[in-house]
Amino acid sequence: MNKDDFSALGMFRMRPQDQTRPPVFPMGLGADGVHELVEAGFGDMPALTGFALTASAGQTGPVAWIRYGRAGQDHGRVMLRGLPGLRQDPPSLLQIVTYRPKETLWAMEEVIQSRAVSLVIGEIQDLDFTASRRLMLAARRCGVPAILLMPYTRQGATAATARWRISARPSARNPSDPGAPGAIRWRAVLERSRVPGHTTPYTFDLELDDETLSLSVASRLATDTAAPGPPVHARRPADWRRTG
Amino acid sequence: MPAGQRTGAAPARSPRPFALTETGAAGLSLAAVNPAARALGLQPGLSLSDARTRAAGLATAPIDRAADQAALEALALWLIRLVPLVALDGADGLMLETTGCDHLYGGEAGLMAELARLLDRDGIPHQLGLAGTQVAAAALARAAPGTCLPAGAEADGLSRLPVSALRLSPEANILLRRFGLTRIGQLYDIDRKALARRFPSRQRADAVLIRRDQALGRSIDPIRPVRPAPSYSVRLPCPEPLASSDGLRQGLSQLARMLCDSLAEQGRGARGFTFLAFRADGSQDSLLIQTARPVRDPTHILRLFAERLDRLDPGFGIDLLLLEADRVGPMELSATALSGDLAAHDTDPVALAALADRIHARLGPDRVRISCGREDHLPEQGESVMAFNGTLPPVPTRRVGPRPVRLLTPPERVMVLAEVPDGPPQRFIWRRLPRRVVRADGPERISPAWWRHTASPAQLSPAAPRLDAESGQPVRTLPRARDYYRVEDEAGRRYWLFRDGLYGDGRGGAPEWYVHGLFA
Repeated sequence: MNKDDFSALGMFRMRPQDQTRPPVFPMGLGADGVHELVEAGFGDMPALTGFALTASAGQTGPVAWIRYGRAGQDHGRVMLRGLPGLRQDPPSLLQIVTYRPKETLWAMEEVIQSRAVSLVIGEIQDLDFTASRRLMLAARRCGVPAILLMPYTRQGATAATARWRISARPSARNPSDPGAPGAIRWRAVLERSRVPGHTTPYTFDLELDDETLSLSVASRLATDTAAPGPPVHARRPADWRRTG
Repeated sequence: MPAGQRTGAAPARSPRPFALTETGAAGLSLAAVNPAARALGLQPGLSLSDARTRAAGLATAPIDRAADQAALEALALWLIRLVPLVALDGADGLMLETTGCDHLYGGEAGLMAELARLLDRDGIPHQLGLAGTQVAAAALARAAPGTCLPAGAEADGLSRLPVSALRLSPEANILLRRFGLTRIGQLYDIDRKALARRFPSRQRADAVLIRRDQALGRSIDPIRPVRPAPSYSVRLPCPEPLASSDGLRQGLSQLARMLCDSLAEQGRGARGFTFLAFRADGSQDSLLIQTARPVRDPTHILRLFAERLDRLDPGFGIDLLLLEADRVGPMELSATALSGDLAAHDTDPVALAALADRIHARLGPDRVRISCGREDHLPEQGESVMAFNGTLPPVPTRRVGPRPVRLLTPPERVMVLAEVPDGPPQRFIWRRLPRRVVRADGPERISPAWWRHTASPAQLSPAAPRLDAESGQPVRTLPRARDYYRVEDEAGRRYWLFRDGLYGDGRGGAPEWYVHGLFA
């Protein structure tokens, strides 16, 4: 009787050589399950927005955007004309305005269960484990992926597939004008993952190609050494003055 | 059909003389009297001191016309249980359009008996009259209560009634009495010119004749109902008053099926549904749902109502349920998908509309919105947010310069620390944090719409000119051109900055800087 037979009997299990393995980037982000995108610091919400829209570019069909009614003051509202710069085929957005976390959760579950959209993106301040478990079950049952956009204060346990902490990074070098911002870069740190055996936290540096609008994992070396370009105006004018 | 004279707890039917008073130009006078006071010769309009001398034991209370009006409107809404069109008739009457409804009660006499029974049950004193025209019915109710004139018999039925039953103006009544015209029948063949000569003006004489023509059905007199008639309506009388929400739910599901059947017969759907519950004690409650597209699916309608059915208070029991459909339109049926794979991510407008309906029913109106692109150069006016109407708007796929993913409305002013004449600031303070610009792109100049913002004279008036601090010239507050820059700070955050105005454009002081959007 060899060791395979023993393991089949449940008598002992071979311990894998390396318990953890590095995750592979999208991990079903925007394609299945519930993913939490969390700001790395206050002000990263635009980066979250762009990241959520580009990472879910494989999905075609309408997107339900459940936005927190008062967050518009903080981060502004999603601008349709900004979407073609992020995706080849911008989705049509169905915006649902909520004013309480309870309403957001109810609306998210309702949208998932309706199966009328291909993706649900919800802005929510916080949610507890039970609520995330409910969302996860609904998303798995109905096959509609969900993305939560959450503020930097988000901590604690979650039942979601993964939690990503997103921050904006200095953009890539612009080949045509070194003084101008280039391809958009983000840093996504995989903080928690439900997939067993994943190394967490694990950092991805991502770059959005300007031309093809495809998201690719940039090498760490490239992103870290990308020094900020030369100052905007190497020649400081003589007549600058303090205003404001 | 004058309703009760008073709605409060006043002893309206007590045998003692009782009157309601109101303050007029000549002090307190009577506004309404009860039968006992009327028997003593008291009339509305009499001054209170005169009334006191005629009836020593007269009890009075001030009249509350607003409460009377509200009670009359509530009664009008409750009477929708009998006929769909109910109108207010003056301050003390209600007009019911019985066309097409009387057969439910065994004819017009049966309808009158049912109305009298309902009003008697709730202790509302009433006088009823039924005729082919509104004015004739009102005259009968006031001068000959209980009369039911068959259609076309208005001339005979009204001829013996006093002219005052037509409710003309007081001075017209006095004039007509002076001419010896006391019965309505005497007005039938009167010459228009002859009457006009005897009245102060032709308009006032015409008012009498118009009222006569309306009474006889010679001229049109449209009814103005308290609420518009529904397109479709189904009713469910309950033999035993309902007091539980289970009963309500069952009644509603029965009604929804009936209504959807009649909608389906005509191939139509409705976008508004009203559920009315009439309580036995003379009050009613209603629930309204709106849908984004025409629907006629009973389960969908039931689900939308289910969110709010608990808010209906059965009170002492509900004895009649009514379900109405409004905003009826042709039905758009969604084609069934060829296969599950193909349908999975295709836009199904019907499913989206059903989803929007459920969200509206639960969270309230105006929660589901769409952004529609507009042809406008100004970024803040390039999109309009509107309520979801059942279809998703087309998405812009063309890139017009760099546009942020988040737009701040309104743009937020920033404090510029290091300014350069032709370029973005090198440092600025936004939301109390200093940010150093590392890289920048621009400018993209967006000029104001000169055809829209022409200078109004008020803006350029010399009355209150704002003077520029430096030049001392009057400031012209015209919209200014904007120079937009895409800038990136040290942390990699990207902003859409603009400078409002150009240096020395003569449209205000030094240009100011704003953050208008945030890039991903």
